[in-house]
Amino acid sequence: MDLLNAIVALLNFVVVPAMAYGSQLALGALGVTLIYGILRFSNFAHGDTMAFGAMVTVLVTWLFQSWGVSLGPLPTALLALPFGILGCMGLVLATDRMVYKFYRAQKAKPVILVIVSLGVTFILNGLVRFIIGPDDQNFADGERFIISARTFKEMTGLEEGLAVKTTQGITVVTAVVVVALLFWFLNRTRTGKSMRAYSDNEDLALLSGINPERVVMITWLIVAGLATIAGVLYGLDKSFKPFTYFQLLLPIFASAIVGGLGNPLGAIAGGFVIAFSEVGVTYAWKKVAGYVLPESLAPDGLIQLLSTDYKLAVSFVILLIVLLIKPTGLFQGKSI
Amino acid sequence: MSSDPYSDRGNKDLSLGNASKMSTATPVRPGGEARAAPGGPFLIGENMTGGYGNGPDILHDCTIAVDKGEIAVIVGPNGAGKSTGMKAVFGMLNLRQGHVRLDGEDITQLTPQARVAKGMGFVPQTSNIFTSLTVEENLEMGAFIRTDDFRDTMTQIYDLFPILKEKRYQAAGELSGGQRQQVAVGRALMTQPKVLMLDEPTAGVSPIVMDELFDRIIEVARTGIPILMVEQNARQALEIADKGYVLVQGANAYTGTGKDLLADPDVRKSFLGG
Repeated sequence: MDLLNAIVALLNFVVVPAMAYGSQLALGALGVTLIYGILRFSNFAHGDTMAFGAMVTVLVTWLFQSWGVSLGPLPTALLALPFGILGCMGLVLATDRMVYKFYRAQKAKPVILVIVSLGVTFILNGLVRFIIGPDDQNFADGERFIISARTFKEMTGLEEGLAVKTTQGITVVTAVVVVALLFWFLNRTRTGKSMRAYSDNEDLALLSGINPERVVMITWLIVAGLATIAGVLYGLDKSFKPFTYFQLLLPIFASAIVGGLGNPLGAIAGGFVIAFSEVGVTYAWKKVAGYVLPESLAPDGLIQLLSTDYKLAVSFVILLIVLLIKPTGLFQGKSI
Repeated sequence: MSSDPYSDRGNKDLSLGNASKMSTATPVRPGGEARAAPGGPFLIGENMTGGYGNGPDILHDCTIAVDKGEIAVIVGPNGAGKSTGMKAVFGMLNLRQGHVRLDGEDITQLTPQARVAKGMGFVPQTSNIFTSLTVEENLEMGAFIRTDDFRDTMTQIYDLFPILKEKRYQAAGELSGGQRQQVAVGRALMTQPKVLMLDEPTAGVSPIVMDELFDRIIEVARTGIPILMVEQNARQALEIADKGYVLVQGANAYTGTGKDLLADPDVRKSFLGG
């Protein structure tokens, strides 16, 4: 019974939240890795692209809520998501046309594009705060839990409860669907294959009659979709605050690099590695240890390795370890 | 430090970006159109002068041509501009002077993609396959511009290069040098080109494989596709050539039939080792 309680506590406080967070990071890292693979630079504006897409979704959600439109138990934001994606697509295409296209024409090297993307970051950052304000915005509605801790306890008679939030369930399901669609697209469709070909060898893609500008445009559109979905899921799960998206950049990049930059499979693995270590390191293991260990060995302290305030440091450390030991990432990176 | 603000400084860091796979070509910009220019050989790059980007001229008044049913071979010492000449014909660099004509049309202003659509196939010397894609995907990418059913063409290519059929689901980067070259030629043939341009198809393969590749190239030529080819193995290449060009420092030095060039004492002495 104690062991069951330990497992439930572990699921409740570590596995479920880390799964949801990992899915969000994986979706974000997929966007970063696609840009890296095809446009060949690390897009620092990705966090703020997520914020912009999420912001449009929040605004449309509020509009729907004011009209009284809802999805019942599901959050209204899901209904607003397509509009957010469209808005974000418009934004990235506009930035590409106004900013990145010029540097592509000059054949600017990645290091320049990275700095350019940093500039775009600041503009987007300001734009989002200008439109929606710097504060926390709440836009989640619908049923809050799939299973609440109390129902779970009543059902099983265990001491520990297991709560699964609706948003966590939606996050994982959406991530699985989106990733499956993306892989199907990249590996099975003509356009997807042409994107991989372009990532593999730009000159040869040109010789095969693949239009680079079209590949770049489709990449931006997919990235806008991924970024908005990741941003909205994160916002639903936690809350929408523009600055947190800028901070998300670090774990997202850590995920992409840990997995192997440019490798979509790696981005997903990296997302979960980062999420599980972040949650695992900042979780107070006292409760779980209390169930598993005999009484005499029961710990006095919280056995929390790091305060949650330092959770960003976890990404940093993992990033450092990976770069020192296996610089190409867990999966072989550098091309899609 | 170079004066070019977009140069290579600080690009070794792979976490910033992946410069190694970037395009190095400065292809003809989009927007140009083909004009009718009847007469002359099937494919000709005429009086071409130009170089990469804003760099110095590499080609000086260079002319290369191939006619229907022919194999034309370009030979010459290292750095003579052989590969550059091929790229110029294919629109991979901007010409300052000269014209490229294909089948009675002036295509100087066309982008490489548009030239592929006009029926030109090109196999570059290096990085001529998509290493991370499977053999079959490489061939599919070769047929990218085709909207019709290209399965017949793929079968033909598998007949021409049986080893590729065996390895169709393997990543092309895992193949041997000779097999890679077959993938590269196969990829270019997928568009059913009206003219095929090969830049050193036998570079880096063993002599036995080289003979086999030459046989295959002759086989392709027999189907009626004119072939324009750069080759290091000058003697062997000139033996199968209907037309030969010897380039020196980006200009035509000697031109003639393959046999003439092989017999020419100057050419023999300078380029064929006596």
